[in-house]
Amino acid sequence: MNPLLEPVGVSHFMAVGALMFVCGVVCMATKRNALGVLMGIELVLNGANINFVALSSSFLSASGKSGLGLDGQFIALFVIVLAAAEAAVALAITLNFYNNHATVDVDRADELKG
Amino acid sequence: MESINWHSFFFFLFALVSCGFAVMVVLSSNIVRMAFYLTISLGATAGLFFLAGADFIGAMQLMIYVGGTLVLLVFGVMLTAQGPFVSMKTRGGDWILAAVLSGSLLALLVPAAFTVREWRGPSPVDAVARMEPTSTPLGMGLLGIRVDKLEDRPEKLKEGMSSYLLPFEIVSVHLLVVLVGAAYLARTKRRRDVRMESL
Amino acid sequence: MDTKTLASLLPILLGIAWLLPLASFTLIVLFGPRMGKHGVGASYLATLAIVSGFACSVVALGLWMWVHPLSSAHAAAPEESIDAARQHEAVVDHGADGHASGHHELKTPIYYTGDLYTLGQFGKLKVTISFYIDALTVGMFAMVTLIASCIHFYAIGYMHDELHDVTDHEVVLSDGHHLHRPGRFHRFFQYLSLFCFSMLGLVYAGNIAMVFVFWELVGICSYFLIGFYIERKSASNAANKAFIVNRVGDFGMIIGLMALWGGIGTFAFGDMEEPDGTTSRGIFSQVRDAENGYKLTIPDGMVRATVPEVVEEVAVDHRNNPDPLAAESEIASRLSTYREQHYGYWLLVIAGVGIFCGCVGKSAQFPLHVWLPDAMEGPTPVSALVHSATMVAAGVYLTGRFYPVFTPEARLVIAYCGAITLFLAATIAITATDIKRVLAYSTVSQLGYMMLALGVGGWVAGLFHLITHAFFKSLLFLCSGSVIHACHTNEMPKMGGLLKKMPWTGYTMLVGCLAIIGAGLPPVFGFWPFGFGLSGFYSKDSIIAQAYSFWTENPTHGMILFAAAAGGASITAFYMFRLWFMTFIGPPRDHHIYDHAHESPRIMYLPLVILAFFAVVIGWTWPGVWGVTDLLEQARWPAEASAGVLLPNLHYPDEHESHVPAVHLVAGLTAFSTALGGFLLATVFYGVRWLNAAEARQQFAPIYTFLVNKWYFDELYDFLWVRPAHVVAGVVSWFDKQVIDGFINNLARWTRGLADIDDLIDRYFVDGLVNLTAAWTWSFGNSLRGLQTGKLRQYVMLIVIGTVALTIIINFASAG
Repeated sequence: MNPLLEPVGVSHFMAVGALMFVCGVVCMATKRNALGVLMGIELVLNGANINFVALSSSFLSASGKSGLGLDGQFIALFVIVLAAAEAAVALAITLNFYNNHATVDVDRADELKG
Repeated sequence: MESINWHSFFFFLFALVSCGFAVMVVLSSNIVRMAFYLTISLGATAGLFFLAGADFIGAMQLMIYVGGTLVLLVFGVMLTAQGPFVSMKTRGGDWILAAVLSGSLLALLVPAAFTVREWRGPSPVDAVARMEPTSTPLGMGLLGIRVDKLEDRPEKLKEGMSSYLLPFEIVSVHLLVVLVGAAYLARTKRRRDVRMESL
Repeated sequence: MDTKTLASLLPILLGIAWLLPLASFTLIVLFGPRMGKHGVGASYLATLAIVSGFACSVVALGLWMWVHPLSSAHAAAPEESIDAARQHEAVVDHGADGHASGHHELKTPIYYTGDLYTLGQFGKLKVTISFYIDALTVGMFAMVTLIASCIHFYAIGYMHDELHDVTDHEVVLSDGHHLHRPGRFHRFFQYLSLFCFSMLGLVYAGNIAMVFVFWELVGICSYFLIGFYIERKSASNAANKAFIVNRVGDFGMIIGLMALWGGIGTFAFGDMEEPDGTTSRGIFSQVRDAENGYKLTIPDGMVRATVPEVVEEVAVDHRNNPDPLAAESEIASRLSTYREQHYGYWLLVIAGVGIFCGCVGKSAQFPLHVWLPDAMEGPTPVSALVHSATMVAAGVYLTGRFYPVFTPEARLVIAYCGAITLFLAATIAITATDIKRVLAYSTVSQLGYMMLALGVGGWVAGLFHLITHAFFKSLLFLCSGSVIHACHTNEMPKMGGLLKKMPWTGYTMLVGCLAIIGAGLPPVFGFWPFGFGLSGFYSKDSIIAQAYSFWTENPTHGMILFAAAAGGASITAFYMFRLWFMTFIGPPRDHHIYDHAHESPRIMYLPLVILAFFAVVIGWTWPGVWGVTDLLEQARWPAEASAGVLLPNLHYPDEHESHVPAVHLVAGLTAFSTALGGFLLATVFYGVRWLNAAEARQQFAPIYTFLVNKWYFDELYDFLWVRPAHVVAGVVSWFDKQVIDGFINNLARWTRGLADIDDLIDRYFVDGLVNLTAAWTWSFGNSLRGLQTGKLRQYVMLIVIGTVALTIIINFASAG
């Protein structure tokens, strides 16, 4: 069966979202650079966003009815906006950390360990 | 001979780009390159949004993420990338652990995506017919009117109860606060540093 | 001014005389130490107060005699019949509040009574400050203030040692030194003022409750003054003894008061106009009802109190009777029957004897006479005051005041008490060598005379002797004080021949001695119908005459009582002159003392002269103008002529009968001869020393020892009361220490043990539990610390692990 001949459904989008999410998680788990971690977060958020958008789409599902309707797109919109805000704050925190420790290595930021 | 479903074709194209560059973000160790790969990945995602019928969201993705957030990140990279990056190498053990974990997570998520029959996809005929612009309904929703649900909602919810006017306002104020806070946090404090160094 | 207005001045005058010493006391209490150098001003203030009081009293006395001229029936004309005497008495105006009597012969005495201030009213009980003024009150005021004035003057001289720091040689401290203390001059006069105030209040009082209050005040003042040298063990003991012995008597007095109030329902002596115009009847008029011929009447209340069941029965019977007075009239009609059966009589006897008990304590009568000789520990002016005008006089005064209430039985008790006391004290006085002790026993003996006189019906005689005795006894005490002041010793055997050194003291004391033995010319020598002599002569004669008169009516009792009186007179003469001879006559026995002896300063011997003058003249009568007996006669209740219930054969002769020449002649001769006998015996032993006193002493050794030991009364009381009290106290103390303390200690021990156990539980169980919880929490938290690595990437991995695990678990759970 040639996938190019078949219409894609929500599941395909969700598979892409899952892959992006996992990439983001791995990124967060492996990067020692704080900015790398931030990028991981962006990826995770995007993965989630793909899911929302896909679920709000009315013609991707078999029944022709969207699960979330426009609500999914609203949530996606807010996620984008909040990601921007989060990026700004995280960057500010990173800069502060860099100012104080002259590095952006998250392994060095362990002052609160037990 | 069935014709190529262009919708599917573009989907796979964008999916390939976005996922491939996402994997490259993970694998790259150069922070500048990572930023570049991320830009491409997010841009491809915007394409996916268009394909899902969310034209306004896709546009926003391009504008805010690619045009705003990533520029911010690049600024961060430029401001902090003064020291050597050699010491920032991740150890092999971490890699293996992360791979195992992410693999298992992926193994959970992808099958889950295909478990619901409803989500497998519509008949090819209906696919393009119902595409319509979403910026107007979204804008009306943010202003308090759900034009998409005029028919099938209970009377009470029509009057704006289910719209996003209030979250929109909250988010806008939140953004303002966040930006002010970010500006404050990012402010350089030379005097303190000098004192600490002198100690 | 009419007589009524003048008479209304009496309470004011006497009230001023009464309150002045209180003012002086208050001022000295507040400012005493700052009055002049070492508080010398206190003496002037106190003296001024009492002298002013004396002036007021004299004015009051003059006023009284102006308003109520004396009738001198019997004194002027003894040959007149008794009836005539009574008629004269009847002429006397009855007082403003007096109860008019239908009888012609017998009259209620003149008195003025009224409330000054009502302290409180509790149902029937009304406690007031009131006055009761009759001739006796006026006379007592004059006597007390005069003597107290003399004693104040004397004390200014006598107490001068207290003006600076005093070294008391009789007190040895634990470090072997003598006590050195600041002088207490002002305090002495402060007590004297309070003493005078109390005594005058007692005389002024118009109800028995007020009498009781001042009675106790007199007691506490005597306690202060006897214990003036409080550091001396003997002084504080004597003060305690006086106070405690008086308490015994006061206990009886309270019983008497309860009986009186419970039965009669009033404390007031005389009839009093109520604000609503009615007259509330006092104690006297209820007991001696004028309508009943002044016979002893058992008051309604007392009869009622003894038959409560009858009263209740009547009340029950008339429960439904609309007329509220019916029950009362029914009871009243029944009471007369019960009265005839002598219901309530016992209550009256108890009231009389109870009140007399108080007088026994105050006036040092047998068996409570033991405190008075010990009271010599006080300074001599105090002794003089206590022994003449205040403390002991109070008892006799109250007995006289309550005379109408006494039943014949109570009177016989009084008479015997007096007779025993007078004989007992006189015998002890023979052997005493302490000059003040001789006088003390002489006082006890003379008080016995007064009680005897009252007991045998000689009301005027007894109180007359009280007044005359007050003068010569204070004189004698002040003289002895003067001697002690000069010799610094109380022991007569160390004196002798002092007459040359101290003529003023010696001769005034001789006057006192002559007065007390009743020196005078008996009527048989006849310049004067009643004989002629010093004051004591008249009073003692009238007592013996009354005793003789009593004897003629009651052979058995009369003989004993008359013998005691006559014998006592003889012994009195003996010991008084023994005292005088030993002190002033003969060779000096101790030359050291003799050489240092000197006459006292003028401020001390001038009062002696004044008192000596009065000791001579106070008994004299100027018919129709002056006479103590005539004055007292005005105050006498017609309280004779009633037979006792228990002693139906006891007859009390009317006191006027003792003035009949037949009686009086016998009595006068007896008194004269016995006194002369005693005097001669004393002269033989001590004056001219024909006989050796020491030999006589050896000859009568057992009697002498017996008397020296004061009839062993102290020992007897020690054995009877003090020892048992100590034994009981010891037992109680043992019980306290062993049982109660032991119980409490054991309880405490148990409690402690329990607390210890509790402590263990607390420490190991409760605390352990809490600590264990804390330790668990801590170790748990500690173990969780390891998870908090601070490594961001690790957290991310943990989140992933958690998510995966959760998903798997949920999948399996939903699948299962």
